[in-house]
Amino acid sequence: MVEMAEKKTPRKKKSATETAEAATEAAAESQESGGRTTGEGAAPAGAPREDFQALQRRREQTALDVSRSFPDKYRLSGEMEGCTDARKIELLERLVKTREFDARMRRLFRQGRFEGTFYSQIGQEACDVVLAYQMKKTDFIGPSHRDLGASVGKGIPLTALAAQVYNRVDSPDGGRYTACHYWHPEYWVMQPSTSIMMNWIAATGAAFGFKMLKKDNVAAAFGGDGATAHGDFHEGCNFAAVHRLPIVYVIQNNLWAESLPLSLTTALRDLSHRADAYGFPGVNLDGNDVVAVWNATRAALDRARAGEGATLIEMKTYRWFGHSDIDPADYRSEDEVEDWMERDPLPRYVAWLEETEVLDAETLEGIRERVRKEVEEAVEFAEASPRPEPDAFLSKVFVHEYPGFDVRAGR
Amino acid sequence: MAKLTYIDAINRTLHEEMARDETTFLIGEDTGIYGGVFKATRGLLEEFGPERIIDSPISESLIAGMTVGAAMVGCRPLPEIQFADFISPAFDQIVQQLARYHWRTDGTYAMPVTIRCPWGGGVGGGVFHSQSNEAWFMNVPGLVMVAPSTVRDAAGLLRAAIRSDDPVLYWEHKKLYRSLKDDLPDGEEIVTEIGRAHVAREGKHVTAVTFGYLLHPTLEAAQGLAEDGIEVEVIDLRTLLPLDTPTILESVAKTGKAVIVHEAPKIGGIGGEIAAVLAEECFWELDAPVRRLTGFNTSFPAAKTMEDLYMPGVEEIRRALRTTAET
Repeated sequence: MVEMAEKKTPRKKKSATETAEAATEAAAESQESGGRTTGEGAAPAGAPREDFQALQRRREQTALDVSRSFPDKYRLSGEMEGCTDARKIELLERLVKTREFDARMRRLFRQGRFEGTFYSQIGQEACDVVLAYQMKKTDFIGPSHRDLGASVGKGIPLTALAAQVYNRVDSPDGGRYTACHYWHPEYWVMQPSTSIMMNWIAATGAAFGFKMLKKDNVAAAFGGDGATAHGDFHEGCNFAAVHRLPIVYVIQNNLWAESLPLSLTTALRDLSHRADAYGFPGVNLDGNDVVAVWNATRAALDRARAGEGATLIEMKTYRWFGHSDIDPADYRSEDEVEDWMERDPLPRYVAWLEETEVLDAETLEGIRERVRKEVEEAVEFAEASPRPEPDAFLSKVFVHEYPGFDVRAGR
Repeated sequence: MAKLTYIDAINRTLHEEMARDETTFLIGEDTGIYGGVFKATRGLLEEFGPERIIDSPISESLIAGMTVGAAMVGCRPLPEIQFADFISPAFDQIVQQLARYHWRTDGTYAMPVTIRCPWGGGVGGGVFHSQSNEAWFMNVPGLVMVAPSTVRDAAGLLRAAIRSDDPVLYWEHKKLYRSLKDDLPDGEEIVTEIGRAHVAREGKHVTAVTFGYLLHPTLEAAQGLAEDGIEVEVIDLRTLLPLDTPTILESVAKTGKAVIVHEAPKIGGIGGEIAAVLAEECFWELDAPVRRLTGFNTSFPAAKTMEDLYMPGVEEIRRALRTTAET
């Protein structure tokens, strides 16, 4: 088994529960000695309230429970329906490419090589790479802000993606939009909006457009577990259901909506049940299992292309690092992060390919070598790409000209 | 030649433009089977079928936001917000996504989307059916807003909006729907240029700037003042965003005085933007302070007595114009 990226051990830090328990003990001691434990200013400095401690416990158990609900941490089983060995290998290369690009960008961000921040996707790659890889170039993807894999999976060159991270002129938007919000017009991956779920609605609109214009295309939209609480999740799903739109909806349930655990986002155990409310199929699966993701997305794409309507696929997965790379993610326990890192989708897929004699060491080494080279070339390309001229944003506000419009506002 | 009402002109233009361009579709609440709550979309479902005339669920965010993806794949969407007062759930989609997508993508995609919004007071509708909320959108880069005040412009601006490659909010005034009639020649493709205001009446003593329903009481007030020797120049804005500042400045440079009349509350209204432009660009030509006559800084009231007070009327407009003219 190969290590696919730097595996950063989470910071050694007491979990919030441990901290809370220590504080409770301190409070109990104080009570025994006759001290008051209730009332303002009486509790020892730093002691969390009891209801806060309960909240912490609730936060921490969900992700481990979900992990333990899957029978096997490592092994994949079954067969990837309708996938040739050559495509299995090509898919592996896209997965490795996504992982290595992401890991490289994280390091470059820490070195201060580009401004803004970085949204690492590491741990979740199987969810979007596997679906995007199966789509036609002219099919539409509405990604969220963490869907590097949707772009790599669909075949966008790493050079364009790196230039996007760096906000350079060779970025598809010339550096005017937002770093790491990957998109590319030729590959029909739309710009993710930082405001959650706009892509969900837009992809629904694209699916409507395909149907109305009688085009043989389908759309896919990605969102997270937290995003399912947004009204646009509902408005999009409901409309797609009524009009049997050719769309695949994917929830990447990474169990944390920025700092909010699943248990505080929803009272549901499985978000796939939300599909029942709309009248189309909802499935949930281990999003770190490439074989399972392949089969479910393939069936959903077939269903969409056959005019049978939408599917909601909940993929349970985990982001290894913070919401963005300025987030230490210390709201999660070490146990939880380690547990999920052991469920890494890449080595699991590699092991399965080796067991099924699809992959040999030489092929794997070839992939690693090509990816390493491509990532390095992408970084060199981005760093060599000029920074945009300061006034390059002063255009294209409108398509047409208007007599009273002054883009410079008199400056 | 046919006598058409303002709403007939909208309906006829929708029929004509949808027949002309097969990539257009219309989506809104009760716009299909019912023909729209005001009947602006009547007959469209029968002519163009349920694939292009969509009765939407009550989902304004979807109505506005789905147009972005649809436009990207080649459609020319015509969403309707049933009442302008219901546009707030769609606000995020309009201001963050639709209006900016052309700029955000460095000009890759145009967003040829026309959102029709019935707006305005004077119809006894109460706060959710009377607002003049165009100022909510004034600060949004990339968005165009038009507001016809005549039957001819109802047709001409709608046609121009539908054919435009920029996203347009088309504000149709409810009080004008059936109160105005005009002869529109059959078969004439009326197009009103977006971005250009119209000098609805020429004058030399004071400039009145207005739009929508209030154009008509303003013209009536100007007519009355003419009998007293005060010549009011009346500008019908027609396009609210981007404002036709050259036309406004030219007029005020001539008259030296300006009164802005609109229904929305004064604070943060379009009148403030116009007054600021005059202060910046036309200060030395001004002979009197710029005046704004607007709705009150309250919500829109329901009872007829209150509504009558809220809406600037002919007498009030006449007083404002006379006071400024005589300053």
